[in-house]
Order: sequence, then C-alpha cells, then structure tokens
Amino acid sequence: MKKLLIPILTLAALTSYGQNPAPARPQTKTTALMSGTVHVGNGQVIPNGIVLFTNGVITNVVDGTIVKLNLSDVEVIDVSGKHVYPGFISPASTVGLQEVGAVRATVDKQEVGILNPNVRSLIAYNTDSEIIPTIRNNGVLLTQAMPQGGTISGSSSIMMADGWNWEDAVLKKDDGIWLNWPAYFTRDFNFDDFTTVVRKDEKRASAIEALRATFADAKAYAALSNQTPMNLKLESMRGLFSGKQNLYIRADYGKDIIDAVTFAKSVGVQKVVIVGGEEANRAVTFLKENNVPVILSGLHRLPNREDEDVDLPYRMPGILQKAGILVGLSYADEWWRTRNLPFLAGTASGFGITDREEALKLVTSNTAKILGIDNLAGTLEKGKQATLFVSSGDALDMRTNVIEQVFIQGRKVNLDDRHKRLYKTYKDKYEQK
Amino acid sequence: MLKHFLTGLFTAGLLYTAVAQTTFPRNGVYDERTGLYAFTNATIIVDPQTTLQNATLLIRDGRIEAVGTSVSVPAGAVVADLKGKRIYPALIDINSDYGMPEVKVERRGFFAPPQLESNKKGAYYWNQAVQPENDASLLFKSIPAKADELRKLGFGVVLTHPHDGVVRGTGALVTLADDRENTLVLKPNVTAHYSFSKGSSGQTYPNSMMGSVALIRQAMYDADWYKRAGNKEQENLSLDALNRIRPLPAIFEANDKLGILRADKIGDEFGIQYIIASTGDEYQRIDEVKATGASLIVPLNYPQPYDVEDAWDADNVSLAELKHWEMAPMNAGRLAAANIPFALTTAGLKSKADFWGNLRKAIENGLSEQKALEALTTVPARLIRVDDQVGTLQKGRLANFIITSGNLFSADNVIFENWMRGKQYIVTNKDVADFRGSWNLTVGAQSNLKLNISGKSPDKPEYQIQADTVKITPKVTLSGDLISMQIQMDKKKPGTTRLTGYRTGTTMKGEGETPDGKVVTWSAVRTGDAPVSTSAVSATSTTTASTTAAMATSTTATVPGSTTATILYPFVGMGNAQKPKSETVMIRNATVWTNEKEGILTNADVFVTGGKISKVGKNLPVPADIKVLDGTGKHLTNGIIDEHSHIALLSVNEGSQSSTAEVRMSDVVNPEDINIYRQLAGGVTTSQLLHGSANAIGGQSAIVKLKWGESPEGMLIKGADGFIKFALGENVKQANWGDANRIRFPQTRMGVEQVYMDHFMRAKEYAKTWSTYNALNAKAKTTAIAPRRDIELDALAEILANKRFITCHSYVQSEINMLMKVADSLGFKVNTFTHILEGYKLADKMAKHGAGGSSFADWWAYKMEVHDAIPYNAALMHRQGVTVSINSDDAEMARRLNQEAAKTVEYGGIAEEDAWKMVTLNPAKLLHLDNRLGSIKVGKDADLVLWNAHPLAIYARPEITMIEGAIYFSLKDEDRKREQMQAERARLIQKMLTAKAGGASTTRPAPKRSRMWHCEDIEGVMVEGEEQRH
Repeated sequence: MKKLLIPILTLAALTSYGQNPAPARPQTKTTALMSGTVHVGNGQVIPNGIVLFTNGVITNVVDGTIVKLNLSDVEVIDVSGKHVYPGFISPASTVGLQEVGAVRATVDKQEVGILNPNVRSLIAYNTDSEIIPTIRNNGVLLTQAMPQGGTISGSSSIMMADGWNWEDAVLKKDDGIWLNWPAYFTRDFNFDDFTTVVRKDEKRASAIEALRATFADAKAYAALSNQTPMNLKLESMRGLFSGKQNLYIRADYGKDIIDAVTFAKSVGVQKVVIVGGEEANRAVTFLKENNVPVILSGLHRLPNREDEDVDLPYRMPGILQKAGILVGLSYADEWWRTRNLPFLAGTASGFGITDREEALKLVTSNTAKILGIDNLAGTLEKGKQATLFVSSGDALDMRTNVIEQVFIQGRKVNLDDRHKRLYKTYKDKYEQK
Repeated sequence: MLKHFLTGLFTAGLLYTAVAQTTFPRNGVYDERTGLYAFTNATIIVDPQTTLQNATLLIRDGRIEAVGTSVSVPAGAVVADLKGKRIYPALIDINSDYGMPEVKVERRGFFAPPQLESNKKGAYYWNQAVQPENDASLLFKSIPAKADELRKLGFGVVLTHPHDGVVRGTGALVTLADDRENTLVLKPNVTAHYSFSKGSSGQTYPNSMMGSVALIRQAMYDADWYKRAGNKEQENLSLDALNRIRPLPAIFEANDKLGILRADKIGDEFGIQYIIASTGDEYQRIDEVKATGASLIVPLNYPQPYDVEDAWDADNVSLAELKHWEMAPMNAGRLAAANIPFALTTAGLKSKADFWGNLRKAIENGLSEQKALEALTTVPARLIRVDDQVGTLQKGRLANFIITSGNLFSADNVIFENWMRGKQYIVTNKDVADFRGSWNLTVGAQSNLKLNISGKSPDKPEYQIQADTVKITPKVTLSGDLISMQIQMDKKKPGTTRLTGYRTGTTMKGEGETPDGKVVTWSAVRTGDAPVSTSAVSATSTTTASTTAAMATSTTATVPGSTTATILYPFVGMGNAQKPKSETVMIRNATVWTNEKEGILTNADVFVTGGKISKVGKNLPVPADIKVLDGTGKHLTNGIIDEHSHIALLSVNEGSQSSTAEVRMSDVVNPEDINIYRQLAGGVTTSQLLHGSANAIGGQSAIVKLKWGESPEGMLIKGADGFIKFALGENVKQANWGDANRIRFPQTRMGVEQVYMDHFMRAKEYAKTWSTYNALNAKAKTTAIAPRRDIELDALAEILANKRFITCHSYVQSEINMLMKVADSLGFKVNTFTHILEGYKLADKMAKHGAGGSSFADWWAYKMEVHDAIPYNAALMHRQGVTVSINSDDAEMARRLNQEAAKTVEYGGIAEEDAWKMVTLNPAKLLHLDNRLGSIKVGKDADLVLWNAHPLAIYARPEITMIEGAIYFSLKDEDRKREQMQAERARLIQKMLTAKAGGASTTRPAPKRSRMWHCEDIEGVMVEGEEQRH
C-alpha cells in the first residue's frame, strides 16, 4: 500500500505544481499577419508577405508589395522584420505518450505482444503533457503519435500541440500502421557478461514468412464486410490495402529497406513509408523507382560505422533529396528534445541542402505529404489550416529561433510553459534581492 | 607454505636427482635403466646460433652428457643413426594453462543482488580476484591428451599457471611427459602472474579496467604494509604470498596493445619490469611498446579473412579489421625488427594445430627462422630464468629435444620424435621402411607394369601403377617390410587382383590371387627413384632444404605486401600515416573571437609557432616558408573544451562500491576511439574524461587533448590539476537499477551525505597519520613504522588539501546544497557541479561557495530528478556570477557544442561572446587550465578552430581544427583521406577474396557497435534507452 501511495502522491504533486496553459479559444476574427518574411514551406519565400486566415483556415497568402487587401474587420498583426512559418511537423514521435522516461507509470508508448495493429496511440495521447508546450514554443505544432514495440506496433495518429483532450487534438486519426521490419542484423544483449553481439539473424526468413501470412489474412479479410465476430487485428489493417493508411516500416540497413518495401508491395499494401532509413543512401535508386518516401531518424546521431564519413548522418537528407526522394525528418524517440526538430533541418542545410527553403521542407511540406495531411498542413497556402507561427529570426537556427506567436487552426496559443514559469519564478527570486 | 616455496626457489640443483631413486612402492621387480642414448650422424641445432653437422648427441639419465662432432659413443649406449635428420632443442611455451583447473567464471547477471564480499573463505585478501597464494604446482594435474597435443608440435616444457584473477599466484615449469606429476613438475614457483581480468571472481569489485588497476596497486601497497607491520595485526595468507612472489619474474597478461602500456605503468610504480603476455596487435604501437622495455610473450592468433563477397555486408568490416587481417602475421617480424625481446606461445590459438601454419606465416612475413627458434627456446628459458636447464642442447641441460626430418620451419618438415628428460615420444615413426622408388612389377605373366611409390616421407607413400598408358591407383597396406596390394587392372571391368608379399632391399616378392581365383606369384625390382610428380616436387625441396646450411639466417627482410601494409595512427580507418606535427602557421584576415577584453576582432591575423599563439593583430608580417591559412569570411576561435565527456575511454564506471576514489580514468584512455576524430571535426580540442555517476565518489578524471594518433600518455595534459568525479541523486542511490540493487549503501539521499562525511573523516585521520610520520627525522623513521598506503584515501586527502578538485554530477538542489555544506564544514570547495540542472534554484549559494556549473543546454524529462530542469539554467547561473560551461556527456552532442552554447542565446538571452565562452574559456577555468587554454592570447596553446561561418550558427562547421599548432582535422583533406581509405579497402578486399577462393575459412561480417559511454553505463553495458543514462 505504501509503495502504491508514493507514485500517486508524486503525481499529484506534479500536476498541482505546474499547470499547462488552457488550450486556445477558437478563432473568431479574421487575422492578417502583415509584412513578414513568409516561408511558404514549399521552397518559396515571400519577403514582404501577408498571411490571411479565417475560422482556422488560410484564406490568402500574398506578396504585400503587389497585392493590396481589404483589411476592414480584420485583426491585423504587424510582423514586419519577422518570419512566418507553417507549423513544423514531428513524425514518429512519442510526445504525449511518455512523460518522465525513468518513471514507468508515465510511459505509454509500447504495448506487449508481437502483432498489435489494433492498438491505437491516440487513446494514450496526453494533451496535458508538459512536454507539449515546450515543443510548440520552438515551432513544432504537429506530431505523429507513434506506438512502438513488437513487430506490428499499432496505429499512429497526427496530433496538434493544443487541445483539451485527444479528440480535440487529433488532426488525422489512425493515419498508419507501424511495422518493425525483421532486421538482417540483430543485436543480442547478454545480461551475463554485458556484451552485445551483432549477428546475421538466422530466424529472419521465418519471421518474414509469418508476417506474410498475417498480411495475406488481413488482405483476404479486407474483402469481407461486417465480419462477425470482428477480428480486431485484421479489421485494423483494412486501410493498408485501400490506400487509406500508410504502412510505416522501420528499417535502417540497405537490404532491409529493399526487402521491406518489396514485401509490402507483394502483400498488396498501397502506401509504404520507410522510417529510420539510416542507410537509405544505399538504396536511393530502389526507393526512387518505387516512389517510397523516407522519414529519417534524428540527424543528430553518430555515423553507424567507424569508417563512415563523420558527417554522413547530417548529409543524408541532402543525398536523398537530390536523388528525388521525398524526405521528412523525425526526432524519433527523443520526445523531450522534440523542440530541437527545427535544428535538424538547419543541420541538413549546413550539410548539403544549401537552399534553406529546401531544408525547411524537411519539417513542413515533405512531412505533410508523407503523412497524408498535405491538404491540411505543411505549407502556408490558401485552403490549408492556419497552423503556423511567427519567429523573430530564422527558426532553423537556435541562435535566432525565438517564437513570438503561435496559431493552431487559427487559435492563438498561449506560449507559457513549465520552463518559462520556473525561469520567471527564479528570475524574480534573484531580482527581489 | 614457506618451506615449499623455498624448495621451489632452490630446486635448480635438485633437478639433477637421479631418476632411479623413488619414494613410490614398486609392484614388480627393479627395472631402472641407464638411459644412455647416442644419436649419431645428425645435424644438431645446439642453440639458435650453433649448428653442428654430422654430430652426436649423447644423453644419460635424462640429461645431455655430450654434444659435438667428435663425441665417442660409450659402451652400453643405445645408438640411433640420424643421418639426414636434425635435432633441435624442444620448444618452450611460457603462457600455458596446461594441467590447471578450469576457470569457472561466476556470471551473476545484472539482475542478481551484488556480491560485495569475497566468497573465498579463509585467511585471504578481502578481494577474491587477488590470489597470490595460488601455486600452479599444487594445482597441477597432468592431462595426457593435452600433453600429447603439445608434444606433437615439438614442445617439451611449459610454464603453466592458473589464468584466474588480477593477481594469479605462481607458475610452475612442467614437462609434457606422461608420468607421475612428481617427475613432471620441474620447478614450482618460477614466476608471478598478473592480469586485468578478475576471472572467476563474482565479487562486484572491480567491474572495470581502472578498478582492476587500482586493485593490483592497492594489493601491492597492502603487501608492503603487511611486511612491515600488518602481520602483527592479522594473518593474511594472500599478502604474505604476495611478498614472497615479488622477487620472481613477473608475467602480466595484457588484453591488447594498450594493456601493455598500462601494465608497464603499474610495474614502474613498484619497480617491477613485467614480462607481458600480449595479444598480437603490438605492431600497431611498436614505438610505445618498445619504450616500456618489456619483453613480450606473443601469440600467433591471426584473424580469419572476412567473407566479403557481398559488397554491402562487407561494409560492416572496418578498414582497421581488414588491415589487421593482413598485418597480424607481420607482428612477430616487426617486433624482431624493432629489437623487442619476445617469446612465442600457443596461447590464444583457436586450435593448437594452427601453430605451425601460423608460425610459417609469420616467417613468410618477415620473422627470421633464427628469431623464431629463439622465441621458442632460449628467450622463454631466459625470461623465466630456467636457461640453465632448458632451451639449448648444451651439456648438462635436460635431454629435451626433438628429431625432425629437416628444417623445423619448413612446410615439409616432419617431427619424428620428441624426447623429454631422456624419454622418447614418437610423433611420427622415423623408421618406416622406405618403399619409395620406381619398381618394375611382374604379376603372373603380366610384366609390363611399372609401380611408382612417391610421397614426401616414407610414412606417407603414394602409389601408382602404370600399365602402358593406363594409370591405376592400387590400394596398398604396409607393415614393416610386408606389403599387400589390391589392384583393379581394368577400370571398366570389376575384379580385383590381391597381392601379398615382402621386401628385401630392392626386390619384392610374393603371391596373390587374380579376380577369378587363380593363385599367381608376383615380384618387383626397384629401378630407381620415383619420377617427379607434384607431390614428389615437395619431397625434393625438402631434401634440398635439409642439405643447405641448417639454420636459414638469410631470410630477407622484404615482407610480401609490406610496401602497402602501412600503420595508421591510431590504427583506425581515419587514422593518419604520420602523426600530425606542430607547424608555424599564419591565419590571415579572419574574424577572431579572442575571449579577451579585445572581444571579437575583424580582419585579424593570428600567428602560431612552437605550438603557441605568438602574435595576434592586423596585417602581421608573414615570414617566408610558413603555412598560411586564409581566414577571409571565416571565424577563428579557440578549440572547444568539453568539461564532461566519456569518449576515448575503455570503461567508464567502477560502479561497485560507494566510493572508488582510487580508480583513475587515465588508466583507461582509448586513443583509438573514432569519436575523437568525429569531435575534432566538430571543433573540440580538449575533453575532461570523467568517471561515471554510479557512485557517490567516483574516479579520478583524465584531462586530454584530442591528439588523434597519440598514445594515451601523449593525450593527457601534463601538469594539469587532478580532478575527481562525485555524483549525487538517482544513480548513486541506484533508484533506476531494478529491485535487485537495493543492498549497497546508500539507497537514499540521506545516506549519500553520510558516505561523504564518513570518507572525508577517515581521509582526514589518514592524512594526519601520514603527516605525523613524514615529520619524523630520518633517524626516527628507521624505528617508526610507516602507515599503510591507501590509494583511495590518498585521493580524498588530496581534496581536503586542495590538491584535487571535484566535478560533481548533480541535479536536485537539496543534495547540491548538502555537498557544499559538507565541503564547507571540512574546509574545501566543490570545484564544479556538472549537469547541475537545478543549479538555477541555488545559483546564489553556488556563487557564494565558489562552485562552477557545467550544464546541458536543454535536457530534461528523462528521469524524475530532471523534471525541473530548464534551458534557462545556464543564463540564471551566469547572472548570479557562477562560472558556467555547457558540456556534452554525449559523443554525438559534443560534435555540436557550439550549437548547444547558442541555445543560451535563445533561452535567457545570453550575449553571444558570453555564450561562446561557455564552451571555451569557462570550461578552461573550471579545469584550472585558463592560463594556457580558452582564449586567443599570445602565449596560450594554439588550439584553434577555423569556422566557415559564425560559430554559434547552426550552419557553421570547422574547416580546420588545430591542437598546439598541429592540424588534426582539415575539411579540405577529407576527400583525399576518403579516397586513400577506399583504395586501401579495395586492395584488401581483393586480397581477402583471393584468400577465400584459395580455401580459407572466413568470418561473417557484422556491424560493430562501438561502445558509447554515458555517466550511467557499467562496464560493457549499453543501457538501452536514453532515459537510463546521464
């Protein structure tokens, strides 16, 4: 009993200590962001642009030096000298699914079992997570809540970084199913002598055959309607065969990437996305030929091999983009660092993608296309949702990323967060003296 | 015990004891023989320098009585005519575990409760891994099958010892005969043995390399104390034994080339020159190995070629691995060329049967046969001081020798016999009747047959019958001079003719039966030597080899492939063929971040000479013939200093005890970590390599410059103040270590304070005892007893004396406050709080105490104690007057510390120059190195980085990274380096493919996970998941 009490009390203490600001109120008045540098997110930049949005939707994005708009009954916000960006998108994220890594009670990212296509991440998505305000304050306004574990981990959903509950916060429900591809090389950790052995997985072929059977069953099942009793697992995979859902396959090694994509196509999956892709540079021709996009794992990682170019991870987006592959950047499992996502795009720009607007696409329009939300987000274009922010400087560089205003579906978001509150508390303490 | 030991020491004379006397009762009648044998007409290799032709070896009672070309054979000797054969001294292996009990390693697993105390019951040392009392002669039990295996290779005696523990006890010299152990053990207590591996011990301490070093050192000091005083307080059989084995030749088993340097350093501290058992990679650091002055015991274990047929899989094999595959067989030759004395051993071979093949590879790769023979006979004998007994065939030595068909090192050589103390062991029967030759065969009426018997030696004949143009291979069985043959005369028709007969000189005769049952007579007459066939060629070359001067001293120094097989410093793909050297350099027209009152200078020049910054200014004159770097449009800064790093280490946590102040990270610096080079590419030039945070008092830091290619010693900053890692919070109290780890004190923050108070009070007492003793005059000292040296308390006493400084892993304000109070009460300062994520809550107290803060820019949420971490921490501490640095604790983030510094601009609005100082000047201050590092000022070290852009911008990257005027990273050179690597790789892969095609077995390539250390990693553990770290 005593044991049980401690975590409960701790949790209570936490929630009472820090309160996230209340979610924003719906947009009531048309808003115009005037005279800012508008980074459209599709490679274009409008130096003196106007972004107009009504009821949460962008109604116009124009060059302010050419087009004059009637701005009566419009809330005009002067952002001259500042930068306007579409909200950054963090795919393959566990934000909202885990709070404090070492405290098991706060971690809901991974279910037990091997095949869990029916498990849905949005159910566990905690809109009250104190991580969320910290990421939107660096411009990350959308995340893809991703389940982990097993071979088929479950289905993800696209979440907005603001909302009273998961129903409020979801932008796209169950956008895709997550598959951990049986890897060519496996790692065995030996708890007896604490060594890790990396070796070719001899059981891989049989694991793939087992998967093939599951997908064959799912496809056959998808041809039926109103099946009773319903098979939850197979039911949840329907969208893969109709093209409604992506199949996100985690694979890094070149051979795994090729095998995984070939597998997915052979079992009738319509849309495949490679996630991780640490060695996608080995499979560029294949990926291009098959028109498969890639969500790269965090660029701020070390090369996988001693002899690899020291900057290979940093250059990877440029290598893929140049080959004509659609690339997005993720912060993978580093949920609490997700606010650094913009800087991954900045790094890509320092290492290969010299045009910063092209680098920007890695966290905006490219990702939106990959996730199937490009009709809603990813660029500052007419008809898209007004999920965007204003930064006083280049948002891809930590030196200048100072976010001043954030709008999610046109709602103006309070920029307070736990860190700012603690900062203020102690700044005040020292200034009292 | 002592008596036994003394017996051992003085057994040399007793070895002459006549074999005839025995204490064992006899079942039967007296049957002792003279043991008098004469081997005549032999080529005798008396020692590697002396070869006698047509000589005689005379042995009696297991000893050599005479050897020479004019030895007269006394009556009563058994004479063996060895015409055409050779006699060599039997080989010696001094790193053997022959006859020792199997070492059973107790693996307790991560989730088992820790074993804090020794499981070895008795009056022994506190730590189970220290076993000087082990005596190989007491443990020795002969194992005939293993003895036979080694005998067949030509070995006569081995030095065997239990390979168990960091102090392993003594080795015994034993012969490989099959007999009672009483006659096998030639000499007990020949050597003392040490290693870095705790072996079978399941005790938690030590669980790191630096812990093993500390344990050996402390045991040595304890033995000193035991000798002068401790024995009056307690009986300690281990310490007693350690003192007794100290005068013996000491053999240290190292785990790699760096282990040789590490072992030698321990030896230097105690005035012991270890003989070091190495692992075969010494050629990669031959200068440093030579400088140790150690003799080596070198294995012949070469890696298999990798299977590189699949180009992608082959990428998982590193260039260093490819090169090692090519160069491992060159190791012995290069050691010989460098005049490093060494013995060879069969230890480390996967199969002992590989011994000769691998030795021949070494010879093909530059080892002379003479050196090889020395390394197997005279050198090992001399190293363990038994050269008056074994190793040569001089008069008076033991009759340990081998009889061979020819040159011992030739591929065709056959070892016939191996004699041990005058006892014969037949390896291959040398007296096989030689049927080889060309014979005219008549079977019944058929007389057109030619029988050719060939083969490289008489015991391996090959047969062929030629009937006109038809070639038939008969089945033949020989037994002495008897022969039986089965011949299928016509390949197309079944039916075998069977012949049985005997040989007399050059004729064979006999009877047989044709397929239809008819009895026939047959005969054969030798007409000459067998015609040359493929196998006969090698037989001929054997003969040729044996007729040339016996010892091939003419082996040329040209090594196949030696022109391309080059060493890299360090031995990693990205290593350099030459170590970078200090240059005289002018950097012109750059934006220079001085970190001094001059601030940021534009269009400025910096002149570097002798490794120092010698001029800073505008339009400086450029001397002729120096390197000029154009800094136009670029930024020049100091090298980044990472106050908290765990790269370039072989292990990070001695997490076994609450205090391990005695361990030193300088013992485990790994100059081959590729992260050194990666960080140079990120502008880092200096790192403090810290112990982990698994315990309240961790180990002593190593402060290094990232001099890629230098030795561990060469990387350490000479004269730097000593630092030590402390830690607070969840790691120390093992909060996230699972339910098994609830035993070690402390388990709460309350206990952590008590650990500090307890240790410091003991250290204070300790220091007082020593200062009292040291204050005595010389005369008084002769009667007084020096206190026990305790290397843990030494380190703590240094802290109290302000001679060693603390970097304390910390998160939560309560305990940070506590440590400052502990320090205040004892009159010292906490130099630096590292991580210090709640530093902002008590920055005023830190400033008052004088502690610095070395923090992450924006880390939080990975565990409960970082829940209140905020990215504004650095700014708040800075504004309260705390010296703030931003560190990495992470091999990857250290490559972007400039960006992490820039975050203090974003969070809290720190001025850019101040932000930059947080990764340069401020860490230099925290490390007490700001007198020579951290700013661009005349006289300071020329550790400089030339950036392509504003160094705080995310788009910035170093183009040049220089340490003390030597360029260690140059972006421009990367492409060239890459091309060279590719070419070398391609060459080796082609060579490997050839080896595989030639039938070599191969190893599958698999990616290696280089160990990334973080605070919390225990030896060998890569804790999964970020939340488990830091």
